[in-house]
Amino acid sequence: MNNIIEVKNLTKQYKTLTAVDNLSFNVKEGEILGLLGPNGSGKTTTINCILSLLNYQKGTIKIFGKEMKPDSYDIKSKIGVIFQDVAVFEELTVYDNIDYFCGLYIKDKKKRKEYINDAINLVGLNEFKKFYPKQLSGGLLRRLNIACGIAHKPKLIFLDEPTVAVDPQSRNNILDNIKTLRNQGTTIVYTTHYMEEVEILCDEIIILDKGKILAKGTLDELKEYASIEEKITVEINDLKEEIIEEIKEFKNVDKISYERNILLITYKKGKNNLGELIDYLKSKKVKYNKIFSERPTLNDVFLELTGKELRD
Amino acid sequence: MTVFKTFWKIVKKYKGTIILYTVMLIAFGGINQIANENETDFVNSKPNVIIVNNDEEKGLTKNLIDYIKNNSNIIDIKNTEEARNDAIFFRDANYIIYIPNGYRNDILKGLNPEIEIKSSGDYQSSLAEMILTRYLKTQSIYNKEIKNETELINTINKTLKKKSIVEISSKLNTDEITKISRFFNFASYSIMAVILYIICLVLYSFNKDIVKKRTIISSMNYKKHNKLILFASSLFALLICILYMILSIILFKESMITTRGLIYLLNTFIFTFTALTLALLVSSLVNSKEAISGIVNVVALGSAFLCGAFIPVEFLPEQVLKISRILPAYWYINSNELLKTTEILNLSTLKPILIDYLVMIIFGIIFIIINNLVTKKKRVS
Ligand SMILES: Nc1ncnc2c1ncn2[C@@H]1O[C@H](COP(=O)(O)OP(=O)(O)O)[C@@H](O)[C@H]1O
Ligand SMILES: [Mg+2]
Repeated sequence: MNNIIEVKNLTKQYKTLTAVDNLSFNVKEGEILGLLGPNGSGKTTTINCILSLLNYQKGTIKIFGKEMKPDSYDIKSKIGVIFQDVAVFEELTVYDNIDYFCGLYIKDKKKRKEYINDAINLVGLNEFKKFYPKQLSGGLLRRLNIACGIAHKPKLIFLDEPTVAVDPQSRNNILDNIKTLRNQGTTIVYTTHYMEEVEILCDEIIILDKGKILAKGTLDELKEYASIEEKITVEINDLKEEIIEEIKEFKNVDKISYERNILLITYKKGKNNLGELIDYLKSKKVKYNKIFSERPTLNDVFLELTGKELRD
Repeated sequence: MTVFKTFWKIVKKYKGTIILYTVMLIAFGGINQIANENETDFVNSKPNVIIVNNDEEKGLTKNLIDYIKNNSNIIDIKNTEEARNDAIFFRDANYIIYIPNGYRNDILKGLNPEIEIKSSGDYQSSLAEMILTRYLKTQSIYNKEIKNETELINTINKTLKKKSIVEISSKLNTDEITKISRFFNFASYSIMAVILYIICLVLYSFNKDIVKKRTIISSMNYKKHNKLILFASSLFALLICILYMILSIILFKESMITTRGLIYLLNTFIFTFTALTLALLVSSLVNSKEAISGIVNVVALGSAFLCGAFIPVEFLPEQVLKISRILPAYWYINSNELLKTTEILNLSTLKPILIDYLVMIIFGIIFIIINNLVTKKKRVS
């Protein structure tokens, strides 16, 4: 597959702060790249540099095989951007807003009308065409924001934290839209600090912290970074100390904790850990409410790499 | 085209504001004046003059004094230079005429003795100057040929009488001119407020950080985008100017279709240019809607009060008028007022008005330069 974006040694400093530190990565055609990192890790700065909205100290950026510069209008015409903040005209209706932004790219009136309606259908704002932004809820505004960014049917889309402070329904709608766009062959760069979104959405993931790439790869590749293999959670009332001590001695067990009636065991590796635990609890006649096993999450990966949690 | 169309869509959203200021102009600058047809004129067009006669009050000297007396209000004050200076300073008098000793004899010898004057520098004083100049010019035409004093006096008086009849017949109804002047003075407020308000609001929407970002990353050339916006803003200002011009023609009818009427329109056009450049400057400075309404109130309403858009300039304290010189509206209203008091319109009498134009245009250029500096600085950061 072709590389749609090639970033090499990108470094961006704001006065003394290095917001992006020697970043290199590629984005392949048709994939969703997730830029995952906590607030302030440099996600927005990276995107702004790629788009030539910011000057940067070092690095080269190629999009569609050509160097990206502020006046690369042919490249720009194939890009759509959805910024973190909602960027619309308060004085214009939903329809007119999309019309304006689409009109910056598409001059043909008939074609534009078709494109606008496609965008409205995609984000599900059909009933709100004549509404003004003030009359929309936060979630619907986000959807409008997306429609404005993608109405011209770009080949490459950047989405910067499009789901922050959005109600669950709109959030699902937005995630579905992104999948639809990908299925239509669009390449997508998606930034977020929600690891769950990255897990369900992205083909390729870059974990950023303090402007540096901590890890990159597919979800499965990244999970290799986690030192644990499995996490088992059990809800037990009044567990005796000696039982905890005994479980600690099981093979493969990495760590064990018991707090507020929740027993949490992490395993380095091994098979049938859950079966063994259930058998053991039965033999000791320990009663439990809930028991479940989990694969490590990106949060565990992040924890492993930085020693801190990703969640805010 | 999208940019241009969107500009007008947003303007349309604010049509209420445009209507409000236009209705105010019609109500306060037009209808209330036309309704008060017999209202007495605020402007006392006769200047206040002090005559200091160092000659004998006889013959030609007496004739000059009589002529001045007939055409102005003579002020009687204590016969000291200090009292006279105070009178000028406090605007009790607009003009002092010093007739030198031997004036009468010099005229009879065919000379043109110099007459010293002191002037308060306002409109009234320029009227006094006009009266005096008119007399002296007429006298200098005849005193070389006519040596008989009585004959000379008669000839001068006859000529002056004829001339003033010609002038009066060519003059517009002064009541009507006062009304037109007041309409345009008020229009300075409506023009400034509408242009500032609407252009700032519309440009604010286009330049909101994030909308701007989206425009910059689009395939539209951003410079071209800015040019389109500038063009649309200028067109908007021009349309407002034309709207108010048409309004003046509807209100004052054929009085507007005269040289004087056209000069009022020209004044207004130039003021519109200055208002436009100010609006563009303010819109690069403000970054919130609240700030816009604040600034419109301070700038438009404030300068309207200070410069005499609502109340006749004559009622404003001199100190206020001095301060208001730093405001473009002062020069516009000044040009309207000058036009009101200038009897004969020709290149030399219109010179003071041309100076007002020059000042307004310089204001505009300064606003454009500052605007360029501000936008450049913004772009760098
Ligand atoms: N205009 C700016 N001037 C100075 N520092 C900035 C500016 N924008 C962002 N930063 C800093 O750069 C770092 C990265 O910011 P950002 O790219 O916005 O992170 P993210 O999008 O991942 O939350 C942060 O520490 C932030 O404070
Ligand atoms: Mg960000």
